Amino acid sequence: MENKNPISPHIQIYSWNISSLISISHRITGVINILALILICLWIALLLLGEVNYEYIKFFLQSFLGKFLILYLTWSFSFQILSEIRHLFWDFGYGFELITSKITGLIVIFGSFVLTILIYLIGKQII
Amino acid sequence: MINATKKWIFLKVSSAILIPLMIWFIINLVSIYEKDYIDIVSFFSTQPSKFLTSLLMIVAFFYSSLSISEIFEDYIHDKKIKKMANKVLYILSIIIPLITIMVLFNLNI
Repeated sequence: MENKNPISPHIQIYSWNISSLISISHRITGVINILALILICLWIALLLLGEVNYEYIKFFLQSFLGKFLILYLTWSFSFQILSEIRHLFWDFGYGFELITSKITGLIVIFGSFVLTILIYLIGKQII
Repeated sequence: MINATKKWIFLKVSSAILIPLMIWFIINLVSIYEKDYIDIVSFFSTQPSKFLTSLLMIVAFFYSSLSISEIFEDYIHDKKIKKMANKVLYILSIIIPLITIMVLFNLNI
């Protein structure tokens, strides 16, 4: 008989907490970031088409949607960076205590927004 | 050393390399995305930008292919589909950064 059980427990059977929220968000932002990198590769490749053709891309990037996309990507990268730092600390054996894990989880969530603002301000040379 | 251990070490080393590269790239992306064609090509034409963007692409696609293969491992039941998905993933992880690097080194003002 074919085994129809899931290989890994599915997310809907767990009650939500900070760790599970960070864990699934880490995976989702990871997939989004690689899709974003593919778009960035395409953007770089389209530069070969020359200045005239680039005007269409520039028009999109200067639109509300383009600006929102870059802002979202900044957050997505920020979240991934902080979450990955949290994982690296775990790999060296730090931060496994329940309270520490909750605090670092909150730092990843709120820190990602702070880092997004910081990166945006540095990128726009406001600070 | 078993393969799973090697994979884990590669994943961790690449993630440690990626963190500063991602910070560098996203700050510069925010800085240039609205600018004119000439400014963007000028940015990617400098040696540090070429080198760091190429390194980012290689490490990011390497890291992502390892991470996404873990997601396939967890959620794809059928072994044939999983094998095929991993093959497509690994091929794309080589081709996409390779093309991007070739473009980067052919960009001229």
